Amino acid sequence: MASVAEVRAAVNAALQQVTEGQAAIQAAREKLGEAQQSLAAALDGSANDAVGAAHASLSQADQQLEECLGATLLAVEQAQTYTATL
Amino acid sequence: MSLLQELGAQLRATSEELPTGQVSVAMERLRSATELLNWVRQTSVDPIGVPQLGNATEHAEHAAAALRLAQDAIAAYLAGLGLAADAGAPPDRDYKAGLAEGQQPSPQPDHEQPAPEQLGPWWRERVEKLTGEAPPPPQENGAPPQRPADTAELLQRVAAGVRSGDRARLGRDLHGVDAATGLGLSAVTSLVLHRLAGDLLGHEPGPDDLQRLRGAAGGRVRSLLPGTSPAVLDTLLARICRAPQAEQAPAHPADSAVTASVLTGVLLARLGRDPATLDPGAPEPLRPRGVDA
Repeated sequence: MASVAEVRAAVNAALQQVTEGQAAIQAAREKLGEAQQSLAAALDGSANDAVGAAHASLSQADQQLEECLGATLLAVEQAQTYTATL
Repeated sequence: MSLLQELGAQLRATSEELPTGQVSVAMERLRSATELLNWVRQTSVDPIGVPQLGNATEHAEHAAAALRLAQDAIAAYLAGLGLAADAGAPPDRDYKAGLAEGQQPSPQPDHEQPAPEQLGPWWRERVEKLTGEAPPPPQENGAPPQRPADTAELLQRVAAGVRSGDRARLGRDLHGVDAATGLGLSAVTSLVLHRLAGDLLGHEPGPDDLQRLRGAAGGRVRSLLPGTSPAVLDTLLARICRAPQAEQAPAHPADSAVTASVLTGVLLARLGRDPATLDPGAPEPLRPRGVDA
């Protein structure tokens, strides 16, 4: 039979996965920033459409990761609020 | 090396170093967390953060798509310059990114967050049901048994147990970890399964391959995990093949995690690969044109 301690532990195990996901997102954003700088330096002065598309896609990726991180923070908050009521 | 060649090499390096692997890891961790929370809350009206995790996963998927578009744009630019984009491209290792992440020290948990050790009996009970193997008795000399250090090592051990067809060993290895390490198998196996299935089939797995994969792996998975439900294996195979999944109640998270790890071992064995090839630092095995599955 499940106990409050077990439910809480299961939610915490899920939150541990979220924490690891957040760490991966943060690491991805750091690498993405480096890639944006590297691309900007290498392609400075290029008016090629493909270069513009690459810059735009990297910016979009970064924005999506930022929003992803924000959504995980809300999820963690909601889950912690729930376990506090157990 | 000409100036143009140098520019090409620099752009290729930038493209290859884009964090596609880390974004995939994040997606799988979030999916795994969602699966666990869905199981916890299935009879509760409180969402416990599940919709927000769904949003987060969707943003991560969009980020992954945007990174692929950036890589395509760089490749198109290089092609426009007359430089082959794929010349000397290194083998794709993104599918092992989750295993490499698992070897990193985990971030320190929040002070208020207790370690999930209380799930130990819950995990062992489920492992016993799945494998039919009871938890091993304590060693006579009182020494603790040798345990896998992390989920990546556990997956290698499970794959070794599958290869030897030793269900008792499989049970011991799965009983020997805490719940968090075991449940982590769901997240680390997802990309690996997709890659191994693709290697076995000789092409990217699609919905038409579902039956073939079921035939190639189903029997062996069931013989090693007599307690697993056919629906759990079908869900895993449908995910691999990007096929629609049947509507059903959330599976027990331990069932998904354990079955995914055994399925990984079965596919590795079908490919004739050693479990050590799962090590992120191991050389990439040659990709076959397709093994008769």
